[in-house]
Amino acid sequence: MRKKKQGFRRPVIIKKPKQPQEQPSVDPITGKKIPKSFVFSRGKLPAPLKQLQMDLRKLMLPYTALSLREKKRNNLRDFLNVAGPMGVTHFFILSKTATSPYLRVATTPQGPTLTFKIHEYSLAADIARSQLHPRCPKDLFKSSALIVLSGFVSGDPPLQLTTNMFQNIFPTIDVKTVKLSTCQRIVLLNYNKDTKLIDFRHYSIRLQPVGVSRRIRKLVQSHQVPDLRNLLDVSNFVTKAGYGSESEADEEAATVTLSSDIGRVNRASTKSAVKLHEVGPRMTLQLVRIEKGLCSGEVLFSEYGKAGGKGKSDDEMQGEEDEEDQDGEHPEDSED
Amino acid sequence: MAEEMTMVEPGRGKRKFFKKQGHKKSSNKAKVMPPQHGQKKVKIDKKMKKLFRKRAREYNSDDEDEEATVPATSEPKGLASITNKRNDEDDTESEDGSEDEGAAGPQKTWNKNATDMNNHSSDDEGEDDNEIQPGITKFTEGCRAFKMAFKNIMQKSVPDDMLGPILSGQRKLVVDKLAEEEAESKVKGEAKKEKKMLAEKGHVKPATYLDSHEKFLISVATKGVVKLFNAVNKAQTAQKGLNPSRTKDAKEIRKRTKQAFFSELGKPSLPAIGTTTKAKESTDRVEDEQPAWAPLRDNYMLTSSRLKDWDKMPDKNVSDDMGKTSEDSSSDED
Repeated sequence: MRKKKQGFRRPVIIKKPKQPQEQPSVDPITGKKIPKSFVFSRGKLPAPLKQLQMDLRKLMLPYTALSLREKKRNNLRDFLNVAGPMGVTHFFILSKTATSPYLRVATTPQGPTLTFKIHEYSLAADIARSQLHPRCPKDLFKSSALIVLSGFVSGDPPLQLTTNMFQNIFPTIDVKTVKLSTCQRIVLLNYNKDTKLIDFRHYSIRLQPVGVSRRIRKLVQSHQVPDLRNLLDVSNFVTKAGYGSESEADEEAATVTLSSDIGRVNRASTKSAVKLHEVGPRMTLQLVRIEKGLCSGEVLFSEYGKAGGKGKSDDEMQGEEDEEDQDGEHPEDSED
Repeated sequence: MAEEMTMVEPGRGKRKFFKKQGHKKSSNKAKVMPPQHGQKKVKIDKKMKKLFRKRAREYNSDDEDEEATVPATSEPKGLASITNKRNDEDDTESEDGSEDEGAAGPQKTWNKNATDMNNHSSDDEGEDDNEIQPGITKFTEGCRAFKMAFKNIMQKSVPDDMLGPILSGQRKLVVDKLAEEEAESKVKGEAKKEKKMLAEKGHVKPATYLDSHEKFLISVATKGVVKLFNAVNKAQTAQKGLNPSRTKDAKEIRKRTKQAFFSELGKPSLPAIGTTTKAKESTDRVEDEQPAWAPLRDNYMLTSSRLKDWDKMPDKNVSDDMGKTSEDSSSDED
């Protein structure tokens, strides 16, 4: 009797608490420092701009503080003191004036600082609401975004500085070792020479196989059982051609041959079509000012500055370019 | 009718009063009282009785005062009795006032005449009447006063105003207050609108369709992604070629480049190119056979592979795909 009773007892299982995974501060392959960022605001922001701040934090994941909180008494020096030990390399500062909101992008600890005027912005929620089928897979924000810069070909020093700044904000990609499954998002910065405006967009990348019929592709991608009531045989499901919309026509330019498997559908050494879905936020920026220090120091470039000031800033810009060349080979590594 | 009611009630009161007095005071007074009543009945008619009783009421009040003074002097110990008597005096005073108001002038003259004749009998009658009347008079007085006040208030005519019953002096004030409140609400509303406008400055809701600018941006981003993926593909395929042993680097590099070339060309040209690749592979294997005995076994493998290939060639596309996979696996093994 005792043995039977003992047999019925359930074993006690002690679960060990999982320790949070520490993010590496240095890229294990290239040995370079991974850039991290803080997104915060100065002054009181209205509700839409607060939401924009949250969207920017999501955009900068996984190397940013998603739940960063600031108080009225906090000043810029406080953030600087915290940024040092945590390895934060960039600040995104949102502020608002009567004319329009402003976004400052600064490198810690000593600058420079680029000030952008936000002419128009749309939140991620607005963009999701405007789409018929908004897409948001669960692994979208687990890896950092890629960056594409277009229209920055002109040799103006302020644009070059802007290009270098944004390229260094996102971690560099080693073409030889990167996994394509980690490339989930892309940030586009498009410069328009005529209007001097920069279009800021955020897309999610989706790959779907080429040469497969629509029905089979849908069956494999989604886990739903198809409706076969109107069919006499299973072969009819495969043989019958489904009607594809005009936008689904595959373009030669948008097809890619993959070197590794991505998901259950896109296999190595097979062709896949690249599809982009906008995730938001969406901004229209204008470069207004460049300061030498962190939100302080000498003004190197100003959209509304005097002619004399511009001349001086040009000379100093040349000096800074030399310094940047000495610093590192970041622009060469990133092939975007 | 009222007089008759009063006539009946004092009779009852008398009996009660007698009993009380009998208990407290001496019995002599009681004995003296009855013969006087008998005498009155014999001599006087009913009408005369009524008149005498009325007159006696007034005289009773005067007599009571005298009695009050006498017992105090005679019995100083009895404090309670003194207080009771004082209460009685108060009642009598109120009754006197009411009687004066109700009574007419000539009645007073009759009362004065009656005093001389009926002092003793009037004492008892007056006391009884006093006890009963005060309640009745008070009730009637209260009712009358209330009625008069109520009628006066109801008769008043109040003008009808939109603002309701407000004191005339404050009508203008109320109007001013209402006007001020409306003005304040308008101002607040405008202020809120301005705040919203400032908050929403720059916030644009995107259109549900993609305009030309958006399409252009998407195409630019797509080109960027394609370039990146192609570059990654090239680099990693080259890297794969380098992984195996050093002796076979050149061969595998060539194979990888061939595969890349085939992929660039596209599907329709695959079968023709496949044949060329097979021929090249066979030549390489022949060279290997010569040095030792082990290569002879390789010869057997080659023959078997050849037979398989020849068998699969005339079959459908599926068999072709199988052949390709077998080639890949064999190359990996080598």
